[in-house]
Amino acid sequence: MADAHSLSTDATTAPAARTRIDATVLRILALGFTIFIVAYIAIPVLVTLAMSFNDAAAVRFPIKAWSLKWYYDFFGSPQWVDALKSSVIIALGTTVISTTAGVMAAWAFERFNFACKSLVYLLIMLPLFMPGVVLGLGVAMAFGDVSLFGVNVYGSRQLVMLAHSLWAMPLVFMLMEATFRTVDHRIVEASYDLGGRPVQTFFEIVLPSVSTGIISSALFAFVISLNEFVMALFLTTRDTQTLPVLMWLSLRSAGTPRLAVASVILAAAVFVSLSLIMAWYIRQLRKT
Amino acid sequence: MNVRAVSEMEVQDGARRAPRWRMRLTPWLLMAPALSIALAFFGLPIVFMTRMSFNEHIDQRFYVPGFTFDNYAAMLTDPTFSSALWTTMRLALISSIVTVTIGYVFAMLVWLKPKRWRLLFIALALCPLLISEISIIFGWWMFFPKNGLLSYALTSSGLITDKISLMYTEFAAFVGLSYVIFILLSIFDGIDKKVLEASADLGAAPVRTFYEVLLPLTKGGVAAAFAQSFIWAIGTYATPSALGPDTLWTIGYLIQEQMLGKHNWPRAAAFSIVLTMGVAVVMVVIRMLTSKRTALNG
Repeated sequence: MADAHSLSTDATTAPAARTRIDATVLRILALGFTIFIVAYIAIPVLVTLAMSFNDAAAVRFPIKAWSLKWYYDFFGSPQWVDALKSSVIIALGTTVISTTAGVMAAWAFERFNFACKSLVYLLIMLPLFMPGVVLGLGVAMAFGDVSLFGVNVYGSRQLVMLAHSLWAMPLVFMLMEATFRTVDHRIVEASYDLGGRPVQTFFEIVLPSVSTGIISSALFAFVISLNEFVMALFLTTRDTQTLPVLMWLSLRSAGTPRLAVASVILAAAVFVSLSLIMAWYIRQLRKT
Repeated sequence: MNVRAVSEMEVQDGARRAPRWRMRLTPWLLMAPALSIALAFFGLPIVFMTRMSFNEHIDQRFYVPGFTFDNYAAMLTDPTFSSALWTTMRLALISSIVTVTIGYVFAMLVWLKPKRWRLLFIALALCPLLISEISIIFGWWMFFPKNGLLSYALTSSGLITDKISLMYTEFAAFVGLSYVIFILLSIFDGIDKKVLEASADLGAAPVRTFYEVLLPLTKGGVAAAFAQSFIWAIGTYATPSALGPDTLWTIGYLIQEQMLGKHNWPRAAAFSIVLTMGVAVVMVVIRMLTSKRTALNG
């Protein structure tokens, strides 16, 4: 009897010990991977940040003296400031175009049934999966020597906005289609029953209830356009160059600490807009 | 008076019983901006490029109208172009495998960890999307200079330069990591964590649980993530041309060079069409493989 008892405890402790070792190994592996991924993402960012405060004229480690010299240099150079301005204008334009078009199309998909629905879906989504080189080249060739009212279309900021919308709009559309699916249909029906017109219902009932989705998809559109450079490389002239294009050209010739400053400013622009949105969102949450 | 009466009638009638033609027309009106952008700036350029790819290139002019298959034939006969095709495929394949592996482990970790860590992990996963590709390239370029100490040490110790540069390229192959993580995370979130306990209770070791339970459940997500990553990697040229060896030419790089450097429009168009075809083939294959609804197959 005693024998049988000890045998059974033996049988249960052995797998338990193995499970404990397994768990420890897994935990160490998970920790190692987390460190790896943090380093993978952080190293280029930290190196760039450090280099932007370098005092020397060349990109070289170790950094001997620290200064804000290259920041003054960046904001003192009309070429780089203009590029930053161009980038922000184009990103804002892309956000407006792609959010408007994407939200409207997503509402049509949610609310109505029509012919060739999956074909239209494919047509709207397809540009998102196309390489930037192909899209940029195609637009540049097709609109290369078109002029509207005597103004050259090629090289204009509006053309770049529309080209960036090819990536931003499908993303907005995809996010909003999922968001609209969460809208309670009974509320929409109730609005109609109370005499609300479709347009009125859309603006006063539907839009406020999906504002978070709209804001976050608009933010995606903004960030994508701000960071995109392949299409912009094909579509801009010297006067409308965006910051990433200028950075790319400068990286190709010779990297200076100014390039690091530009990287930091571009990232800062993204994070500032992100935190503004977060602040707005938190205020919105408190209100309700 | 008349207008007022009509509008009042409509209000009473309710939007749901609006005239049939209006019900038909409304979705198309709503989709008009999106459709016209897609058609004018994607459809039209593709048609234009297809025609352009058969034109001829004579005497340094952008293009001369004509009809020739030379531009496509060049991809097979000219060693520069055919090796670029091969390089592009290989790079895209390797970088997708690496990206999906990293993304998979990351998504699994987020799924397994307690909820309070989640926001932090999500912020981390968003980073590659928020930071410009060029900033990342520049960062790695400074960290692993081509003529730097690390490179020198590795080269002089007998390793081949080409391989090292290739390693940098794949290391910096950030393209699409965020997307891959989010695609996989959404798949993981649909799985009940109790399956792990059940598997452990039945005596399976973690490795076996992974192969026999988790992997089959996430198969569809892995395929979708791989396709996404491959499609993004196939068109890239910034990272390989900035970080890779000088001879690491991808199709994307050649398109850019033919267009902006050599001003050979027909050839650039032909390469673009081939690249578009490649993307289309991957999409069709993935559509056949995955039955689950993803962004690719609505």
